[in-house]
Amino acid sequence: MKPDADQSFIAEALPAFISEAEEQLGALEQLLLQLEDAPEDRELLDALFRCAHTVKGSAGIFGLDAVAAFTHHVESLLDRLREGQVRLTPALSTLLLRCNDQIRALVGQAGRGDTADDPGAEAERAALVVQLQAAGGTAPAAAGAPAPPTAAPSAAGPAAAAAGDRAWHVSVAFGSETFRNGMDPLALLNYLRGLGQIPQLACDIEAVPALEALDPEACHLAFELALLTEAGRDEIEGAFSFVREDCQLHVLAPGATPDDYARLIESMPDNPRLGDILVASGAITRGQLQHALRAQGDAAASGTPQPLGEILQATAGVAPQIVAAALNKHSRGREAAAGPTAPAAAEETGGRFIRVQADRLDAVINLLGELVIAGAGANLLARQTRQGALIEANGQIVRLIEEIRNGTLQLRMVPIGETFSRFRRVVRDTAAELGKDVALELVGGDTELDKSMVERIADPLMHLVRNALDHGLETPAQRSEAGKPAQGRLVLSACHESGSVLIAIEDDGRGIQRDKVLARAWERGLVEPGVRPADEDIDRLIFAPGFSTAEKVTNLSGRGVGMDVVKRNIEALRGTVTLRSVPGAGSRIEIRLPLTLAIIDGFLVGVGGSRFIFPLDAVVEVIEPRGALATTDAHGRRTVELRGQVLPVVALRALYGLGGDEPARPSIVVLRAGTRRFGVLVDQLLGQHQTVIKPLGRMFRSLRGMAGSSILGNGEVALIFDVPALGQLAEAPPAPHTPAHPVPHHPGRGAAVPATVPHEGQAS
Amino acid sequence: MHDAGPQASATPEGSVLSLPAELTIYTVGELHPAWLAWAGAGGQRVDGSAVDQVDAAGLQLLLALARSLQARGTPLRLAGASRVLEEGCAALGLAGWLAQHHEGAPA
Repeated sequence: MKPDADQSFIAEALPAFISEAEEQLGALEQLLLQLEDAPEDRELLDALFRCAHTVKGSAGIFGLDAVAAFTHHVESLLDRLREGQVRLTPALSTLLLRCNDQIRALVGQAGRGDTADDPGAEAERAALVVQLQAAGGTAPAAAGAPAPPTAAPSAAGPAAAAAGDRAWHVSVAFGSETFRNGMDPLALLNYLRGLGQIPQLACDIEAVPALEALDPEACHLAFELALLTEAGRDEIEGAFSFVREDCQLHVLAPGATPDDYARLIESMPDNPRLGDILVASGAITRGQLQHALRAQGDAAASGTPQPLGEILQATAGVAPQIVAAALNKHSRGREAAAGPTAPAAAEETGGRFIRVQADRLDAVINLLGELVIAGAGANLLARQTRQGALIEANGQIVRLIEEIRNGTLQLRMVPIGETFSRFRRVVRDTAAELGKDVALELVGGDTELDKSMVERIADPLMHLVRNALDHGLETPAQRSEAGKPAQGRLVLSACHESGSVLIAIEDDGRGIQRDKVLARAWERGLVEPGVRPADEDIDRLIFAPGFSTAEKVTNLSGRGVGMDVVKRNIEALRGTVTLRSVPGAGSRIEIRLPLTLAIIDGFLVGVGGSRFIFPLDAVVEVIEPRGALATTDAHGRRTVELRGQVLPVVALRALYGLGGDEPARPSIVVLRAGTRRFGVLVDQLLGQHQTVIKPLGRMFRSLRGMAGSSILGNGEVALIFDVPALGQLAEAPPAPHTPAHPVPHHPGRGAAVPATVPHEGQAS
Repeated sequence: MHDAGPQASATPEGSVLSLPAELTIYTVGELHPAWLAWAGAGGQRVDGSAVDQVDAAGLQLLLALARSLQARGTPLRLAGASRVLEEGCAALGLAGWLAQHHEGAPA
């Protein structure tokens, strides 16, 4: 019996354990996926082991026996992987990923305080344990936990077969300087015999030139051999340490698949006989090899799967150590790009993290919002007193508030890479399910974004990624037919762009099939049958409510949750989504999001008695119109010439039907929305303003061009513009489908004044 | 350095090449031109019964010789092989190769 104090401590600390364990498991998954590209990266293997070890250890402390027991088996296998006794094959990787899912489920169960055992899950775990033991080459009896008698060993599949075969495969081509350096391959092979047995050994006789062409002191010998040994990879490679610098050494761990051999052959293009030698040495049968090589050839056509290091080593003769060092660097760089995985981040920052509950932080930020408003109010009052000292003191306070604001908002910023890296698994599994071959590239994972934003963008992103996999990218056969590499490319990128974050999902698939989209739109009545809108408008139709072009409803997309929901979710975050598609070449979807949802630097302007705020980041410059403005249409749109270019200008007074006369000297605020620029005609410029964004009430949701409201220091309400939407209003051609009057009534004002609007535009 | 000169003795059907006692990296430099000349003169039979020291470089030279002879259409015929030579070949995975070139073995 544990004392009560212990129990209560455990109850209190359990949520922290759960969240930490989930992080570790997430890192574990990422590491496994990274290892698929670099199966022998020692650092990754070590990190992998540490993750499982940590989970097991802390689960034990918290008395979560089911988690600890199951994780123990995973840990044992990871240990053998780390020691090089077992090689990480794709099959093994899949097994470990499934185990990881199980651990996650167990941890989740513990987190919910759910103690009921699900017999189905338990049976699955038992089967997985058997497979783990088979893959690790540990007998069930020796594993320390009772093996379930229900699961037959044959369930272990290829992993079990591989485990029975404990022979390493060593492929070595000695460098030409071997003899001159005083090394004798014969002695070396005899040394290897000291480590174990060599049941198969083949010398590449053909590699030795005829006497006429031979430099007798240059070594041309190459061997393929099987080695039965208890020794680990380090020891085997150690045997070659004196010749390592100029030999090509490949050590395949026991249980190497035909694919591994195929890769080995691919990596040594200057040895065209290797395949025959391997077959001769009994390492692999000819049929297996041909099959694997064909697969490899297909993959190689798309240019990615061959490990970079082996290419370098084989073609450029770069010393293996250099390659290893470069690869380490490479993988670390990739890790950083993918956002710091838990262990890596912990190492870099010395593990100095404080976990804070999100709602406490939110409470602080809310208060800060109030403080900003109060500060602005106090500042205004201080200015009215015209007392220099008071104004100065207030200015100081406002500056400090601004710094606290920036610092606090920074606390909420997290790199988007963590969200991105979740997609590795999704893409891997989904592509496999659809029979597609897709390489996922993640770019700009260190781009920071408000945490709440990151959380809320994950789902729409997931949908877009799945959509690209399902609809955009073709199967390898279709791609080859279209003359594209068999492997598809999916790029997820993020970067900062003029005060917002740009997230792009790009694929090199078939692009939007406009004919199909149009046919569906006609069928659904979204477009008048027979009418063919412009290409961009057709593309945009996929965002229309209830739209799906999948010929058959797959498991993945086409579940009725359409792109319209994605678009709505993004717009709810004050973001925009745009789509570009080139038929046959792919699509690019761009999502622009504000950095944070809470506070912005605003630029306050006045039109009549109304106050409006532009996000300061969007303001390019302010100009004074010279002379009469050119044409005005019904929506108050005009154009001016700015440095030789035509700039569309929106007159807010006309657009929103505000009262009052245009002043003698109005100003034009030039705004930037994405790549476009446009001007807004206003009466007064009131300067920079720290703006706490309040959402618009439901009544005003339909307002076009508005993102929210804010309360000014003097209690007045100002509306905050959604600059891209306003830009669309400024640029949209006056077509019939454009709403004639986006905002018929300005809140609180418009109803009283429409008749008195003295605008020529209204009359025309 | 060592006594490694080619001991080719003329016989009616061409000369037999006696492999030296030491067939190693230390002797291959001298053996190479001599063997080339011997092969050019139409030699085919090799006697390896005197070999009592081999290394990979020496065996590589033997492999090269066999290739040259093969290219001339007169495959190497091994009249005899010392234990050292046999063991050396076995250590390099060449036991099968050696047996194949032994006189009496199917070509």
